[in-house]
Amino acid sequence: MKRILLLVLSLFYLTQLYAQEKSTVSGYIKDAANGEGLIGVSVYVQELKTGTTTNAYGFYSLTLPKAQYNLVFTYVGYERVVKTIDLVTHDVKLDIELKDDSKVLQEVIVTSKKADENVKSLEMSVNKVDIKTIQKMPALLGEVDIIKSIQFLPGVTSVGEGTSGFNVRGGGIDQNLVLLDEAPVYNSSHLFGFFSVFNPDAVKDVKLIKGGIPAQYGGRVSSILDVRMKEGNAKKPQFSGGIGSIFSRFTYERPIFKDKGSFIVALRRSYIDILAKPFLKDDLKGSRFYFYDFTAKGNVRVNDKNTLFLSGYFGRDTFGADFGFNWGNATTSFRWNHVFNNKLFLNNTVFYSNYDYALQTDLKKKNTQDAFRWKSNIITYSIKPDFTYYPNANNTITFGGQLTYYTFNPGQAVAISGGVERSIGLDDKFASEAALYVGNEQKITSKISLQYGLRYSLYDYLGKGNALILGEAPAEGERRPVTSSTPFNWGQSIKKYGNFEPRFAANIGLGENNSIKLSYNRLVQYLHLLSNTTASSPLDVWTPSSNNIKPQLSDQVALGYFHNLADNMYETSVEVYYKKLYNQIDYIRNADLLLNPNVEGDLLFGDGRAYGAEFYVKKTKGKFNGWVSYTLARTERKIPGLNLNNWFPSRIDKTHNLAIVGIYDLNSKWTFSTNFTFSTGTPASFPTNKYIWQDIALPHNYYDTRNTYRIPASHRLDISATRQNKHAFFKKGTSEWVFSVYNVYNRRNPFSVFVRQNENNQTQTEAVRYAIFGSIIPAVTYNFKF
Amino acid sequence: MKNIFLSILIAFASFSLLSCEDVVNIDVQEGVSQLTVDALITNKAQTQTIKLSLSQAYFDNSPVKPALGATVTVFDEDSVAHNFIDLKNDGNYVYDGKTKPLDKLGKQYVLYIKYQGEEYVSLSKLNRVPKIDSINYAVEKFPVKPDNGPQEGFQPQFYAHDFEGEGDCYWIKSAKNHKYFNKSNQISVAYDAGFSPGSKSDGLLFILPIRQSLGGELYSDKDTLTVDLYSITKEQFYYLQIVQQVSSNGGLFATPLSNIPTNIINYNSQSTKKAVGFFGIMAVNSAEAVIDKAKAKPKE
Repeated sequence: MKRILLLVLSLFYLTQLYAQEKSTVSGYIKDAANGEGLIGVSVYVQELKTGTTTNAYGFYSLTLPKAQYNLVFTYVGYERVVKTIDLVTHDVKLDIELKDDSKVLQEVIVTSKKADENVKSLEMSVNKVDIKTIQKMPALLGEVDIIKSIQFLPGVTSVGEGTSGFNVRGGGIDQNLVLLDEAPVYNSSHLFGFFSVFNPDAVKDVKLIKGGIPAQYGGRVSSILDVRMKEGNAKKPQFSGGIGSIFSRFTYERPIFKDKGSFIVALRRSYIDILAKPFLKDDLKGSRFYFYDFTAKGNVRVNDKNTLFLSGYFGRDTFGADFGFNWGNATTSFRWNHVFNNKLFLNNTVFYSNYDYALQTDLKKKNTQDAFRWKSNIITYSIKPDFTYYPNANNTITFGGQLTYYTFNPGQAVAISGGVERSIGLDDKFASEAALYVGNEQKITSKISLQYGLRYSLYDYLGKGNALILGEAPAEGERRPVTSSTPFNWGQSIKKYGNFEPRFAANIGLGENNSIKLSYNRLVQYLHLLSNTTASSPLDVWTPSSNNIKPQLSDQVALGYFHNLADNMYETSVEVYYKKLYNQIDYIRNADLLLNPNVEGDLLFGDGRAYGAEFYVKKTKGKFNGWVSYTLARTERKIPGLNLNNWFPSRIDKTHNLAIVGIYDLNSKWTFSTNFTFSTGTPASFPTNKYIWQDIALPHNYYDTRNTYRIPASHRLDISATRQNKHAFFKKGTSEWVFSVYNVYNRRNPFSVFVRQNENNQTQTEAVRYAIFGSIIPAVTYNFKF
Repeated sequence: MKNIFLSILIAFASFSLLSCEDVVNIDVQEGVSQLTVDALITNKAQTQTIKLSLSQAYFDNSPVKPALGATVTVFDEDSVAHNFIDLKNDGNYVYDGKTKPLDKLGKQYVLYIKYQGEEYVSLSKLNRVPKIDSINYAVEKFPVKPDNGPQEGFQPQFYAHDFEGEGDCYWIKSAKNHKYFNKSNQISVAYDAGFSPGSKSDGLLFILPIRQSLGGELYSDKDTLTVDLYSITKEQFYYLQIVQQVSSNGGLFATPLSNIPTNIINYNSQSTKKAVGFFGIMAVNSAEAVIDKAKAKPKE
């Protein structure tokens, strides 16, 4: 801990040291069309063959020996800019606006020589998908979906179509830190997972980090999905929107404060309920079934040194007639970007995130005689200062911390029977998490660069609450009884956990177009999603680490070979990874996870491991682009009490995963795209025997093994065509039609295969294949912008 | 409770989109056949039956094989033995309870089985059961035609109060025109007056969905409704709950298939022969009503 502080302090000292013989060029890089800050723009110093990239706010800083330089700014999809700067006498502040190059697509563009980030950057196990690409990919029911799109990337899977969340390199859906403008989103799904909560019209950048995770991130053990919202058009007011099969969307953005800032508001709402309204009669009258999300963000540039951002996301799903339920996320984040000097950048984030759900039996009309109402939530408050320090061209130092306070309401319910009301409920739980980190990105030679860092996290499970003391289970794998409980007062520490999380990545260049990268990271996760179902349901409860639940830990090593071909037209990579997971949660047979005060006694703990190889080829330029990704993987768990204490494939294990995405820009009018996926079926457990009890055939697995079978493989082809129109309305703006077909060759991909009794004779048994989408799904979407 | 909510969730999820189910063939490994004990007996003064059979390969839909030649005895807490005899040599071991019913309320009962040299034992307890106060019914019309029963008819409800004292468990069985609803998805159990230990419903009137869980379909005028309220042990409550769960465990929110815990224990814990099934003794109170449309409550 102390060492980290010392390091941080010495950095400030270093600033002074370097000041004499060097000068600094710094500034912001923005999109010329709308003033959006651009993330990850390459800034290359031709003379020194070195460079840097812009951070999440479009800021860059380079400290170089005093001389004249040519700086080359390149960014995929944008025109290249070269600027000559004079650092001989003084520091230079240089803000750049880059122009979108899509307007010149018809010509063969010779972009800069340096589109070789794939090979040159330190990042490995990182996938960025351009939001423009996501918007061109065929989507289910024509609804552009970020979470579904990233499932086409290597190492990313899901347990099946239409399920919520995603799995990265064998990690559970709760092991991904999904950040929307730095605030965590606990449930990224609408309608049980059919659609994700991010409105694509408001998203600027999507980055998935699967390995080599930098020290600034922490809190989940598998991956980081960093979603950045647009800042809003800073040049001119703009309306955009669309009507799809599920959502209608509307976005408005404009400059504010005399062009010193901008804002964006984006609303999406499903509208099937409105169309259906006239047809609902009797009991269905008054039914509610809709989901919406509202995204808003504003920023103001107070002066050259200070920029403020305020972003919010509010989404909700509501379903039901008499019986109904709703769930949703709300996040608000406030950020302050401060440039201390041209070498030290601060982003300070304060955020609030809430995920809640409620269920009730009297949604339409309050019933005072007989009812059941249940709600649950998790709230997070956090402050997170992140500093970036650019001492010289060869080092970029990041340091900072995070302080988080959690409140969990695992379930509050009232049951009313015959007018008598009882409140059922679980006590709220509280926890805090503090973290400090420091990391450096260092170029050792022109061929070798390193990224190393250390994060320390300190978690505290806090009162007010009762610490449950559990006894021994009668047999391994069975329920542990609660023997006693110890009460704790407000703010009293019940259980503390502290962990060092080292991070490391290296890039070794082999000639101009090849590199080898390797990385190691340890990650710690203090929150756990209790979910025992194949697909996660919105009712799953987040629970904190406690005296009985230890934090999850993961260690991952990855090794990759990166190679670019044909003047960087093709990016290729092969990565192998091995991930070891500790303190993984599983469940006793027939566990009771909801509204159970002694739920900790129903949990089992064990280890997990995941390993695999990922192959990736991407064509980045030209009229035809896209990628092929193939993953060979294995994900296993070993939980004392399950599967005779042997390793078994986890429920998300899929051996082969192939994804192909192709996008063809025919001309200025038409764009065509296609997706294809193939994946091995998930594991399943089947009974070996049946026995008849009370005229019902009951399943029994004589060997008591788990996941020894596989359901059949899934594959699917989707296509879409986009037609650009000259104008939207009244000869203004632009618009487009998107025609898409999901599941072109009408395959019934099995989500699961399960066994059951025959409905008419319950002593007879059968196996059933369940497919979530059993048909071709065509859709048409209309988008406009003016 | 939660299971009900989950199944409603599943219903929503599948209704909303284009899901489909097909019956398919799969190959599974066959396990070793085991003794199956189907032993639910009551305090009623009538013939009580314990069925012994052998488990078979899961997809083997041939008639079940009886377990013959077993010795079956139920002892009460006062060591009185009640012998169950396989009169027809078909695996149905019966005891004539007309003269000496098994009705020592609050007492424990032990089941003893000797089969092919192995001795199996099990323990249950005859718990108290409340009276059913009344049955009423209201006019009801479903928005869509249900699979079973009429679309328009009467939704019955029974009224009974849980005893004071936490942990009483019940099983509600119902019959329409003397035909019992026996399917796995028609099992209705209560923990106190609610669905689970967490629901803190001790001493209440049975909560609403339970009061109406009488087969899951509407009744017509002149139909006879029978409600049997059984007292069961906590173990049986969980057993029935799991039976219900494993029987409708498909789709998006399926849980991993797990074996149903049995309360039939091989006396020799070293033996590899294990039995499956469940033994329970239950007290029962019943009520009957003939639906009379003139007496029906109006639609709520």
